[in-house]
Amino acid sequence: MNSIDGSNRHVKTDEAPPPSLLAIVLDTNPHAWAHLSSTLPLSAALANILVFINAHLASGNANEVAVIASHSHKTTFLYPTPILPQPQLRHGTANGHVETGQARNDNEQQMVESANKYRPFAVVEQAILRNFSKLLDETTETHLQATPTTLIGGALSLALTYINKSTILHAPTAASAESISLAALADSENTHVDHVPLTSRILIVSVSGDLANQYIPVMNSIFAAQRKKIPIDILKLAGDTVLLQQASDATGGVYMKPERPEGLLQYLMMAFLPDSTARTSLVVPSAGGVDFRAACFCHRNVVDIGFVCSVCLSIFCTPNLPENMCLTCGSYLSLRSAVMNPPALIPRKKKKKKKAGTESATPGTNTPAGSSTPMHP
Amino acid sequence: MSASSSTQALEYLEGLHLQTHRKLYEQPSTVLAVFRCMLPHLAKSIVMAMLYMPSAFPTTDLDAWFKPSARKEKEQALFVLDRLHILTSKRSDDGRQLYSLSSGFQHSLRQAIEGSGTHRSFGVPATREESGGRKVTINFLDEYSRAQWEGILYYLVSGAAGLHADGIARSEVGNGTKGLLNAGDLVKIVHGSPRITKDGFSFVLQETNAQVWSLLIVYLKMVNNLGMSETEVLSFLFMLGSLELGQDYSISTLSPTQLQMLEDLSDMGLIYRSSKTAKTFYPTRLATTLTSDSGSAMSASSNDIAQASQGTAGPAATANKGFIIIETNYRLYAYTNSLIQIAILSLFTKLQHRFPNLVSGKLTKESVHRAVQSGITSAQIISYLTTYAHPQMQKNVPYIPPTVMDQIRLWEYEGERVEVTPGYLMREFGSETEYRDVLGYADALGVLVWQRDESRCFFVSQVEQISAYLKKKKEHREGGRVR
Repeated sequence: MNSIDGSNRHVKTDEAPPPSLLAIVLDTNPHAWAHLSSTLPLSAALANILVFINAHLASGNANEVAVIASHSHKTTFLYPTPILPQPQLRHGTANGHVETGQARNDNEQQMVESANKYRPFAVVEQAILRNFSKLLDETTETHLQATPTTLIGGALSLALTYINKSTILHAPTAASAESISLAALADSENTHVDHVPLTSRILIVSVSGDLANQYIPVMNSIFAAQRKKIPIDILKLAGDTVLLQQASDATGGVYMKPERPEGLLQYLMMAFLPDSTARTSLVVPSAGGVDFRAACFCHRNVVDIGFVCSVCLSIFCTPNLPENMCLTCGSYLSLRSAVMNPPALIPRKKKKKKKAGTESATPGTNTPAGSSTPMHP
Repeated sequence: MSASSSTQALEYLEGLHLQTHRKLYEQPSTVLAVFRCMLPHLAKSIVMAMLYMPSAFPTTDLDAWFKPSARKEKEQALFVLDRLHILTSKRSDDGRQLYSLSSGFQHSLRQAIEGSGTHRSFGVPATREESGGRKVTINFLDEYSRAQWEGILYYLVSGAAGLHADGIARSEVGNGTKGLLNAGDLVKIVHGSPRITKDGFSFVLQETNAQVWSLLIVYLKMVNNLGMSETEVLSFLFMLGSLELGQDYSISTLSPTQLQMLEDLSDMGLIYRSSKTAKTFYPTRLATTLTSDSGSAMSASSNDIAQASQGTAGPAATANKGFIIIETNYRLYAYTNSLIQIAILSLFTKLQHRFPNLVSGKLTKESVHRAVQSGITSAQIISYLTTYAHPQMQKNVPYIPPTVMDQIRLWEYEGERVEVTPGYLMREFGSETEYRDVLGYADALGVLVWQRDESRCFFVSQVEQISAYLKKKKEHREGGRVR
């Protein structure tokens, strides 16, 4: 009788966990995989990841997956297969239809003999394998010689844009342009989105170290992910980077650096499979001590103590900038006083004194503290 | 309401014996379907974490993996896994409690996920000779399944709603299906014409996917009398759920039991065969969405966008989209011209106007009372209205105005004052701490119905887990004493 009150009015649909989108960024840097080939060859890793993808797809009926290869000279989607823009499409839409139809037929024909496999799994697997071998075929010697590292920044932004697109597609039918703009207006602080249509996360399987040369794009992606509340999980099979640790820490993702890369599948299944719904009740592994050091914007070196532009907060390892201009925003910076008193040595004194110190650092203002600004007692 | 459709099947599965489970888990497609749609979310995480684990999983490690605040969820997940005989716990040599997956389940799930083995349990597509070069379109299949299923619904509601099949072409409901509806106590025949029962009402108000499951569960209960094997029927149903819409499948690999089922299922509209002697069959959307509880069975599955666009274009999808608007003044507008929907609405609404694409009416005390008297509960009415709420209504949470929801409940409570829950009374606890401990466990499991601290007794809806818990505790105590 007394159950008729506001508390009992909940909607039952909340019970089912929301569909979850997993975007996997697979670092396919050939140099790094060559180092790993004795313990974990790329083919074995890919097979393990495919099993992991199937497990993810099985964990929820509407679960989705996207796989992005971050190669040495380009990043590309392994799944879903990118639909290339067709310039001829303008003067013959029927043409485009026929072609997509043929692509579908190709799929069907390859699929015929797979009565031992759940069909959705087979579709994803074959697409990934096909696109992956295409990517490897396209890689030439000149590409390999050009750079020893991988384009993780580009892959991350691809993943983010794909997640964003899917989220919009998944919004309930009523969510028209109006509600989307409302959501954009609302700050990330007050998320009163009534029902979450899609939970997304990014998993980076990384093997290359030394990504400092991509500090800026990666950091920007991390902040975008943080704002969109997309956790970035890191599985670090080899190499070591400051950057990715920060990514998982800032976005609340999982960070793991397995000692035995051969056991890849068990790591994936145990630590990376639970989606954000399940993670609310599980203890997730994370990086113990996070290295928060930044890379400088001028030479891409990781620095302990650096110089920061007072306008745009860019970091530099040296005070000798060309023409004393900030490389990012172009503001005039006078670093003379900073050089004389290294920033780390400023003692934490009273508020009044500190203010005086910072004021004197800005060029042109040598007025003594307290004379221009009236102080409140 | 996706939860309700799979919980029904889950309850049925939980009631099966260990032997039946063992046999079921031999088929990878069955295991995958059970995993995908029966298990709670956390149970999936547990199973997947243990799937490739080389050794058993110590209980203490499992406890450490869960946050202390999530004890309730953990117990629930373990409870379901235990009832389905997926997880077994045993004691290791050094006295630690270990969990391990039942070997059959583990083996089959590995096969399903890797796509290995030669079990051919995910359906054998028909060869070119068998299909005879002629294929039917997905639109045709949708139309067919909808016609068959609506025929069944119409058969149920026509008597009560005072509607007759006047001039509308309805596919005739097969005798087998009629028998099924009777056996499931959904209708009873009065003076030669069907009269809907209380269970029938709740059946009609469910979502399509849940309806299919409830009818299939009635079917499963009947198969033993018909001399068919329950496991084979279940595996076939789970296999159907993993098939591809629009693809024809060969019947050459099916067992005699399953061949017999084909006929019954095509009566219900779950599968389509061009003739009774055809060598192939097509699963319809009703069948392929059996094991995917995302959305209603009629609307397209979301993981295939191409399919989704076709689905929304078809008439089947539009028929099941939200169409009901309720205002706070109890007026109800339903954008539908489907006679079945109108008939269902008329069960608890006072309908006033009908336009080509719209009916309007009002929820009144009399109309709700009438519905309650014929066995519909307020929860059913509310869940029906929620399921079919218009997209405009879905912008608010809850979808239905709270005043209307509360009033429907109040109208019902005017007549009903007692609620019955079958279960067990636990009492005569030795000490307060023991009482508190078991009570906490029962609460975490979600089976606690009522408690009375003064007399140290409480009431639970299910007792198996608790008795196992008590036994474990006792063993532990005795073991401690020996040491």
